[in-house]
Amino acid sequence: MTSPAPLVLGIESSCDETGVGIVRGTELLANTVSSSMDEHVRFGGVIPEIASRAHLDAFVPTLQEALSTAGVTLDDVDALAVTSGPGLSGALMVGVAAAKAVALATGKPLYAINHLVAHVGVGVLDGGTLPSSLGALLVSGGHTEILRVNSLASDIELLGATIDDAAGEAYDKVARLLGLGYPGGPVIDRLAREGDAKAIRFPRGLTLPKFLGTAEAPGKHRYDFSFSGLKTAVARCVEQYQARGEEVPVADIAASFQEAVVDVVTKKAVMACTEQGLENLLLGGGVAANSRLRELLAARCASAGINLRIPPMGLCTDNGAMVAALAAQLVMNGVRPTGIGFSADSGQPVSQISL
Amino acid sequence: MPDAAAAGEAQPGAPIWTAEVNTYGSESTQDLAARIGAALLPGDLLLLAGELGAGKTTFTQGLGVGLGVREGIISPTFVLSRVHPSVTGGPALVHVDAYRLSGVGELEDLDLEAGMDRSVTVVEWGTGMAEQLSDSRLEITLARETGSTMGGRDGAPVMEYPETDDDEPRTITVRAFGPAWTDRRIL
Repeated sequence: MTSPAPLVLGIESSCDETGVGIVRGTELLANTVSSSMDEHVRFGGVIPEIASRAHLDAFVPTLQEALSTAGVTLDDVDALAVTSGPGLSGALMVGVAAAKAVALATGKPLYAINHLVAHVGVGVLDGGTLPSSLGALLVSGGHTEILRVNSLASDIELLGATIDDAAGEAYDKVARLLGLGYPGGPVIDRLAREGDAKAIRFPRGLTLPKFLGTAEAPGKHRYDFSFSGLKTAVARCVEQYQARGEEVPVADIAASFQEAVVDVVTKKAVMACTEQGLENLLLGGGVAANSRLRELLAARCASAGINLRIPPMGLCTDNGAMVAALAAQLVMNGVRPTGIGFSADSGQPVSQISL
Repeated sequence: MPDAAAAGEAQPGAPIWTAEVNTYGSESTQDLAARIGAALLPGDLLLLAGELGAGKTTFTQGLGVGLGVREGIISPTFVLSRVHPSVTGGPALVHVDAYRLSGVGELEDLDLEAGMDRSVTVVEWGTGMAEQLSDSRLEITLARETGSTMGGRDGAPVMEYPETDDDEPRTITVRAFGPAWTDRRIL
């Protein structure tokens, strides 16, 4: 297993996307994703039980399609990889069980991969080896984190995370308050373009001096996020219009809410990079699709002299290629495979790159 | 502080006791929740009610402190249910968000009952659905000043929401139902 460019098949099932990806070293051969998103819309969010069943239905066809797209067979594969966590327990278990079954049937080595680190590792598929001095900002329905990537294969550190709602979750809840349906991200992003982002000044969570402290004496939540107070402010804002019998200025609220989220997320990410001496920042997660986030992050990184890297959207959202890409890095760095004696860990910490 | 209701011979469907407490900001809400958390026992079921942004997750973070479970309680909305193990040898905290569930069947799918006797179970948005998980429960309602009672100086809508806004008052009502609470008055 010292191949300079190992052929790795990666499986992802931590939420509502069933993903199978195939890479050769840092080259992407296939990235097949089947989403059960449509089945969750009526519930206003992902229902784990439905996601698990959908993974079960989708796995074999997704695997077959990925193999055929890549033009390889399971026999050709050097190693297998699967997301072991963090994520929804029941959903993870389906992918893990499937991966173990394939490993057992083929005798190939299996890596149990950290989902969040895979969002970083996917960067190698778009531009090759990741730069040193790297930070990562992950923003999705379930995550809002700033990471410090000391070594992709062996050393990742959590710098900050949300203390209540994830950013994508705040979008979903505000969309609910505004009567816009699920998922909230795309519809708020679209409406925000018609609204005035300065119409209403919504709170930026954890930006008071008592939480921030200073670079030398950081407060408890210097790089952490909170979107709970913002959500409350939006609720109060909507209610006051309703109580007055006035039309709710949905576009202005959407724009002002989005500005509050994006402002604090980009500010803290850039602050973390600057203070930690990180010259590069990689953006990942589904909210990377947000137009205002990309725009403001690019502008703030540019003025702080930070080199921003955003993989193509198909690699930012959950997929199997990112799992394969990270596992290939582990193979190339001589990290030992996990084998099949492990369980899904819904709370797998980011410091555990593989089990 | 608490205004006592007659304990003991409560009628079916009526609370054993009721308490109402006003808090002033998230810290004071968490202090109250920590007091409640410290008095909870394995098997206790709590239903949290209150609008989006009322402070249900904030309250649960305080419960976690009082119970002595692992830090880092965040919103369970995305994952529906999350278990926070004890770091003090006490019961774990099972934190559930039932908002997206359409009925008892889906709640049962989460398999909560399996560990309920060894844990404290907190269900946000569980009213009308989660009562049947146990014969006893605390119903906790968090009410904040709604936007309908606010207004700018000249009657214009409020357009500024400062970072400190979460220091607004909450009225927290605790109602105890069922035999488990007959001889346990924790507020």
